Amino acid sequence: MKTKARQDSIRKRNKIEEKYSWDRMNDAEEERRSHSYRAIIATLVVLGIFFTYMIKLYEVQVSNYEYYSTKSDSNRIKIRPIPATRGKIFDRNGNIIAKNINTFNLIVKKELIKNKEKFLDRVSRIIKLDSNQKQNVANQFKNRRLKDITLLEDITMEKYSKISVDKHILPEMELSTKSRREYPYPYATAHILGYTGKVSDADIESEVVQIQEGMIEIGKLGIERFYQNILAGESGFEKLETDALGEVVRTIETKDSRRGDDIYLTIDLNLQKFIYKLMKNKEGSVIVMNPNNGEVLAFVSAPGYNINLFTKSISQKNYNKILKDERKPMINRAINGQYPPGSTLKPFVGLIALDEGIINSKKLISCSGAYKLNNHKRPFKCWKKEGHGSTDLSYALTQSCDVFFYRVSELTGIDIISEHLYKYGFGQKTYIDLYNESTGLVPDRKWKRKQLQKPWYPGETLNVGIGQGYFLSTPIQLTLATASLATAGQTYTPHLFLRSQDSKTGNFINYKKEDNKFITPNVDYDSLDIVHHAMWRVTNERGVGTASGLKKISNIEIAGKTGTAQVYSLDAGKSSKKKLQDHALFISYAPFENPEIVVTVIVEHGGGGSSTAAPIARDTIEYYMEHKKRVVSYNE
Amino acid sequence: MSEYIRDQVRPFSGLSSLLHIDTKLFIAIIIITIFGLTTIYSSSGGDLSLVVKQFTRITIGIVTMIFIAQVHPDNLKLFAPILFFFTLILLILVLFFGVGNTADRWLDLYFIRFQPSELMKIFVPLMVAYYYSNKPFPPRTKYIFIAILIVLTPVLMIMKQPDLGTALLIGMSGAIAILLAGISLKFFIGSTLGTFLLAPLLWMNMHDYQKQRVLTFFNPESDPMGSGYHLLQSKIALGSGGFFGKGLFNGTQSKLGFVPEHSTDFIFTAFGEEFGFLGVLLLMTLYLFIALRGLSISVQATDNFGRILSGTLSLTIFLYVLVNVGMVIGFLPVVGAPLPFMSYGGTSMVTLFATFGMIMSVKSHQRILRK
Repeated sequence: MKTKARQDSIRKRNKIEEKYSWDRMNDAEEERRSHSYRAIIATLVVLGIFFTYMIKLYEVQVSNYEYYSTKSDSNRIKIRPIPATRGKIFDRNGNIIAKNINTFNLIVKKELIKNKEKFLDRVSRIIKLDSNQKQNVANQFKNRRLKDITLLEDITMEKYSKISVDKHILPEMELSTKSRREYPYPYATAHILGYTGKVSDADIESEVVQIQEGMIEIGKLGIERFYQNILAGESGFEKLETDALGEVVRTIETKDSRRGDDIYLTIDLNLQKFIYKLMKNKEGSVIVMNPNNGEVLAFVSAPGYNINLFTKSISQKNYNKILKDERKPMINRAINGQYPPGSTLKPFVGLIALDEGIINSKKLISCSGAYKLNNHKRPFKCWKKEGHGSTDLSYALTQSCDVFFYRVSELTGIDIISEHLYKYGFGQKTYIDLYNESTGLVPDRKWKRKQLQKPWYPGETLNVGIGQGYFLSTPIQLTLATASLATAGQTYTPHLFLRSQDSKTGNFINYKKEDNKFITPNVDYDSLDIVHHAMWRVTNERGVGTASGLKKISNIEIAGKTGTAQVYSLDAGKSSKKKLQDHALFISYAPFENPEIVVTVIVEHGGGGSSTAAPIARDTIEYYMEHKKRVVSYNE
Repeated sequence: MSEYIRDQVRPFSGLSSLLHIDTKLFIAIIIITIFGLTTIYSSSGGDLSLVVKQFTRITIGIVTMIFIAQVHPDNLKLFAPILFFFTLILLILVLFFGVGNTADRWLDLYFIRFQPSELMKIFVPLMVAYYYSNKPFPPRTKYIFIAILIVLTPVLMIMKQPDLGTALLIGMSGAIAILLAGISLKFFIGSTLGTFLLAPLLWMNMHDYQKQRVLTFFNPESDPMGSGYHLLQSKIALGSGGFFGKGLFNGTQSKLGFVPEHSTDFIFTAFGEEFGFLGVLLLMTLYLFIALRGLSISVQATDNFGRILSGTLSLTIFLYVLVNVGMVIGFLPVVGAPLPFMSYGGTSMVTLFATFGMIMSVKSHQRILRK
């Protein structure tokens, strides 16, 4: 057994030696050849990989150069917009009514905030934010246009130093100077100026305002909105090179912003303030306009509201307070208040009848205190129960006789009345330089059928004839129509813009009145004379004119027309007693011979036009006349 | 039996012959180091102190290279096992006393801090070449397994540090050595399959950050601000260099910090950004030249030791280039591997020059085969 195993072992070893003999092992030539063979394979592999790599590198560096180059630039180049300073707003005499003030805000740059929850937690440890402010902060997080979170607005240095004690809790916070709009007369000028606010999505979608890169504040309402593009100027930018951490390395390029242009309004601030005071505790509107060029000297909608609250982020509490105010201060009554004009419409109805030859100046109509219309059970009452007796147009206007106009409008018919009322500017926008103006309403058969699916009743014509019923007019429409009386047909679009001053050159750019001529056609001067005279009688014929009780203004004669519009229809059910009272209206122009201003007064629920509205117009005209020298001198 | 005329040096010219230097290799290397110095100077924003430091290392490297080039390959062979086992001991020490930021790879000897794993980059091929030098050809399976053991021992220790990148590089250089020494096709296929089968095992033993890197490699856009960030920024830098490059000192991506490690592992990116495809082509061609020159030296070498050593070392250098550049262009996952002769760093620079000292020693001490 043993030997066999040994023999096997020897045989095995011999086999191995045969296979791996020293001869073979030391055959240097073969080894060398074998190595060369492997080296050639290695060379081929190396070359293969080399070309694969070079192809890939070519692809990255040459084929996709544009792509990566753009990426590289957007990596390092940041554009930081420089917001432009907003233009100021002045009244016609150069009194500033909208300016910019620097305020200090406590802000945190959004890019520094890593974790929103933890951040808010740390904020709450330093600053007590009420739920409203928290909501505000949350909204700022959502608004992608904002680069910073404003924690506190308009803080004093004193307060900041108090907060700074805890700066270690919120090291990201910093004080930033922000320009904020401020209005020196926020209440009186509220409905003219509107206000500015943070750019919202609605603004971005809006077609009337240009949104610039980096724009934060934008005009929201009023002149601020209408002339946003002039006031805004042009924002500039800084092209910055930043490193991977976002730190600025250098400024590549700077384009300075261009300050917005200043705007001068046609408004006379003193007159505006004077009238606003007259309208204290009243709701309504007073408009003073120069009929010869459409310049609006005063544009009051009472009550006003504090527009300064809106330029900061207004608190929900304050906002609700204004919204829920029963006096509805946010409604711009001058262009959105739609009132039945009452008797102030009578001069126009009279003129239409004269122009159409339906009546002449001598036409007499008997007033017995009421007018009976065929097929109508209820008689149409005149305000004077005992009646005016036999009246002509002039007397009817002077006394504001309703029966006369019932008859006249019945004779004229709704078709002619409505068609001609359009020509005085009723039922359409006046295109004053404010957005969202209401059109009022000139009712006619077509309108009624379309809106109410009912035919026109003859009695409704009578109501329109005395400025009641469906007919609605805004104060600015009434002003424009009155202006057409004062200037014998040649009227101008009411406007608040006087001129702007280019922030760079200092040149003034005046309002182009040529573009805005609005002519009332078919003017018959004889007819106008009758109406003019009647309107003179309203304020001057003692004991006859409805507003003849007014104190006279020295050397000045006013022409006017009172109006008392009934408002029983809509609010009657739910309202207090005051709301049941009539609206008081007064339209006027002065001086009578050479009209310089048209004054329209509407006092909601003010009672009688002669007792409430007319005195306001009278005081306004007196104030204007006393101060006019200065106004005129600025006029050119 | 063949006869050799010992130490019959091939006719070299002048100084290079005297110093046992291969002039062509040396010039290629010097050009690359100049590229490296320029890129370091530029991307550090003109920090001369870094350049001076790197220059010092290069000088030390050159001195080391010339010194090693004087050593006869036979003496290298003699020292191979001693060096290998000594470094193995150092690696064991690192496992216990190592220092470092993310992984304990450094050995602090108070007067010098260095990574023993870097030394292994040379000593593993040296040891494999030594091991095969007196083995019969073609090598028996048993010898192949022993060679694999020689390679795997340090590799596993380095993986433990953990330094997966270096471990893989050393493992691959060991594989190259074994392949160059000769291996049957059957065995080659078998071991390749085996490696693939072992891959899941490797995956399970990887650290989370290593796994993350591999995952990111397969889908860099999945995490543009995290691990993929480096890769994307690196590609942007390379791509924005274009054909002619942004020009010296104009590499915005590197200078502004978008490319991390722009002087060390990602120096290729910084170079490519400033010198463009043209520069990259030149650099890559130099590396290719070095690799092929090394291979030709190995072919001309007269003994097995010299052949395996010079062939393995030159292929390993090329492998380092491939790994580094492959990582930059997204061919390979991000592993911390320096670009030979370019990247800022001491140990790697000196070991690389030492490597070429050995190649040059093989080249310049050739025995001419008479027969």
